[in-house]
Amino acid sequence: MLKLNTLGKRYGSRWILRDLNLEVLTGECVALLGPSGCGKSTALRLIAGLEHPDEGGIELEGRSLDGIPAERRRIGMVFQSYALFPHLSVRDNLDLGLKIRGMAPAKRREQIDAVLSTVQLVNEADRRPEQLSGGQRQRVALGRALLRNPSVYLLDEPMSNLDAQLRDELRPELRRLILQGPQPVLYVTHDQQEAMALADRIAVLRNGRIEQIGTPQELYLKPATRFVAGFIGRPQINWLKKTNGACIGIRPEHLRPDENGDRWRLIGREWLGANQLLLMEGAAGQLQMLCSADFQPGEHLGVSWSPKDEHHFDPISEKRLSRS
Amino acid sequence: MAMVFGWPMLRYSWLSMHASSVLTGLEPVSNQGANWIRLLEDARFWQDAVQTLRFAALSVGLEIVLALAMALLLDQSWRGRGVVRALSLLPWALPTTMMALGWRWIFNTPYGPLEQMAQSAGLSPLNLLSNPDWTWLATVIADVWKTTPFITLLLLAGLQTIPDDLYSAFRLEGGKTRQALTAITLPLLTPYILIGILFRTAQAAGVFDLIQVLTGGGPAGSTESIAQYAYLNAMRFLDFGYSATVMLAGFVLLSLVIFTAAVLLQISGLLRPLKS
Repeated sequence: MLKLNTLGKRYGSRWILRDLNLEVLTGECVALLGPSGCGKSTALRLIAGLEHPDEGGIELEGRSLDGIPAERRRIGMVFQSYALFPHLSVRDNLDLGLKIRGMAPAKRREQIDAVLSTVQLVNEADRRPEQLSGGQRQRVALGRALLRNPSVYLLDEPMSNLDAQLRDELRPELRRLILQGPQPVLYVTHDQQEAMALADRIAVLRNGRIEQIGTPQELYLKPATRFVAGFIGRPQINWLKKTNGACIGIRPEHLRPDENGDRWRLIGREWLGANQLLLMEGAAGQLQMLCSADFQPGEHLGVSWSPKDEHHFDPISEKRLSRS
Repeated sequence: MAMVFGWPMLRYSWLSMHASSVLTGLEPVSNQGANWIRLLEDARFWQDAVQTLRFAALSVGLEIVLALAMALLLDQSWRGRGVVRALSLLPWALPTTMMALGWRWIFNTPYGPLEQMAQSAGLSPLNLLSNPDWTWLATVIADVWKTTPFITLLLLAGLQTIPDDLYSAFRLEGGKTRQALTAITLPLLTPYILIGILFRTAQAAGVFDLIQVLTGGGPAGSTESIAQYAYLNAMRFLDFGYSATVMLAGFVLLSLVIFTAAVLLQISGLLRPLKS
């Protein structure tokens, strides 16, 4: 189990990360989700021991990592850039750490061969990183983390350098290689879909602080803050202004055409295949609706929704307002 | 290129097959390769060739080592780095003749600061500019001082192409900072080091101004370079045919070395920076 206790890091007087409390259980994958600059990569570097916290501490398997240098933490890290050594072959990239840690040559060879076949790179063993495709490079990086036989996996945006199709192909691979193992996994990403698809729980980070921790369902159904409501779910939630002063959000997929509803003018649409995204304009601003029926731009149509699908937030604190 | 390189080269080639000196009234008269035979037997030319190569090899070798140390230092972040970076470029920005005059004063016996220091340390006079066995050292020191910043800049640019993540990954694998130098930095810096060596060797092998001002090629011709000998033949002895031969021979020797090295390195792929 990985445990972060009020972890904090600052550069000068500016806090990059503050009050980070988080537990990643055995066999669990937690995503640190947030826009760039929210401190999520800093959190990983603190856990890896590449930087030192200014506040709080980290526990791994019940023991404090305080004062333990990076190389002795048994961390399996995958970098966004993969951080493969460009002058070494795939095999030598995997071998480097084992050699440094003083493993016997025969055993090294055996372990590397096993990992090469796990990540399906047996035929690429003698190639250099630049001779590999993006997906293959990513698998070398995963292989290197596997060989570390770590107590925890730290994945820093492992898919953000890949195109959308490759990402879809690699998700099952990532599950098979790493997420299904017993080690806790901390997965940093700015892509909410990726976090929803892969993580057991998601911690949404904003300006160095956690906004909400929860399962993907909880985050989607009961966002704790206005920020989370806007960050989770695509297409983005619609914001309506109501007279009582609360901010009201309603998701595009919860709207439906209704002859008796408020009238909105259709100003644009995007075909998504199974349905379409309608962009509408009315007295209360703009509205996006997911809908399978066919409408033409310029048309006026009635729209309604169920009040139970509304999310209400305090306009000052931006916190969720519970409604009974 | 055709005008400033091709045509002069053709002209020199043609001239090197002619006698064109005071004896011929400066009119080119064909002498059937006598210039080239004279060159082969000219001990002064071969001594200059050896001296030029020695100057280039020592200067460039020292410059690479010093520049690597400087670049590694300037690549770290520390207080006042910006000022030091700017200052360290100064020697390179100074005109060669000015800085050569400066060094001539530093090395001067007995009034230069170097001799003064040696004197107060109780050493016998160094005579760096008047002892033919040691004058080469004076020229190398001055050249290293002037051009190390250039290579430093080149290597610093190379260092900045190495992603920090590589060092982080290396640390997580258990590597020490010291080991990272040989495991990551030097292999990835190799293309930049080689390009530095090629550039600087080509430049140092054609040295003229530095030596002309610092020692004038002396004493006893102990620092004379090929370029100076060619200049001397044309401008003092007014022997344009032989000057062209010396010039051309120097060029051929140099381009054999540089060109072959460049082609071989290019083929081996060592000059191409690797991407991760």
